[in-house]
Amino acid sequence: MLVETVQTSGQLGANDQELIGRMLAGDEDAFTTLYRRRQAPVYRFALQMTGNVVVAEDVTQEVFMALLEHARRFDPQRGTVASFLYGIARNLVLRRLEKDRHTDSDEGLDDFPDDVDVLADLTRQETVEQVRRAVLSLPTTYREVVVLCDLQDASYEDAAAALDCPVGTVRSRLNRGRTMLAQKLAGSAPPKKTLGMKVLRIGA
Amino acid sequence: MSDEQVRRALQMLAVADRDQAAPPAVEERLKLAFRRQRKILVWKRTAIWTVAAAAAIVGIAVLRDAKPKQYAAPVISHLQPPAPGQSVVKPPEVQHVVVSNAPKRPRAPRVQPQAPREVVTEFFPLVDYAPPFERGELVRMRVPASTMRAVGLPVREDRLTDPVQADVLVGQEGMARAIRFVSYSQSNRTGSVLERGE
Repeated sequence: MLVETVQTSGQLGANDQELIGRMLAGDEDAFTTLYRRRQAPVYRFALQMTGNVVVAEDVTQEVFMALLEHARRFDPQRGTVASFLYGIARNLVLRRLEKDRHTDSDEGLDDFPDDVDVLADLTRQETVEQVRRAVLSLPTTYREVVVLCDLQDASYEDAAAALDCPVGTVRSRLNRGRTMLAQKLAGSAPPKKTLGMKVLRIGA
Repeated sequence: MSDEQVRRALQMLAVADRDQAAPPAVEERLKLAFRRQRKILVWKRTAIWTVAAAAAIVGIAVLRDAKPKQYAAPVISHLQPPAPGQSVVKPPEVQHVVVSNAPKRPRAPRVQPQAPREVVTEFFPLVDYAPPFERGELVRMRVPASTMRAVGLPVREDRLTDPVQADVLVGQEGMARAIRFVSYSQSNRTGSVLERGE
């Protein structure tokens, strides 16, 4: 589970659930604290799912607007506040992706040159962007698990609560997602596979 | 490519995105939304407490005025059959008397003043969680129009203090559980305070 720096000193010790309680009682500081604590993971989740900063910004705003309106629906028995927010974000992201189906295409994955030593040519940033494109090219079912568990460092339990599926499903989807990602990064042809390994050694 | 290499690649992306966050403008917009919602919440609570207090006062008044019903004792008559030889007074026979043979003039239909027809809204709950409803009373009272806004009905800003008729459902424990608003088809009292569509 992600724990970020709390910026509002007055609510420093309060956990997310307490903050929701205070927020419902009309405490603006509690809402601000909760927002500052949770907005970045939500924003990054939306960004890594869509690859679009404008959509990520919209989704983040809509997630917290939904929290303002439906905070009473949060049930601590079903999961943490983080998973509750991820769940809302996921629904909003899927709605956006449904509108823009082209995000599921494999565009950009053939950018690996296969006749030169990319280790010398690619910068770290380029590698990051290639990984980002590979993640974005995953089917949404696998992408959301990879983003949550590998990029957002969410626990399997939180991911399961956010995605409304059993933990076992999260594990199997994550495994399958990583396999697909490895294939996409390496490329299906043998030269690309070799190249993909070289690219990854940059960050090693 | 091994699983470990994939993890490292993802870790690179996670580190690169570590500082990504929503711009401050989002926080400002959300704070404004929060304040707007809190304002509505305060209105709602005020209206609910007003209605609840009024209902409680009316309920107490009703309970004080209520007197225990006096039931008349059953009358038991002991009738004995007349003894042999005892004279029995017969009731007089009914005589039919014809008053007049003249044909009746048809009566002019009586014009009654038409009472304004009552129109009520649906019931709006005043409490989120309440014990099971067993019995209660419907108390009619006048409440400020702001109560209508509190339950989500549109009310013009300049009519918030206008009185409107309302039926408050008071449960067996004296708690105001729901409210409905009353208007009249002839003189639409409730409708007059409603916000007109844009």
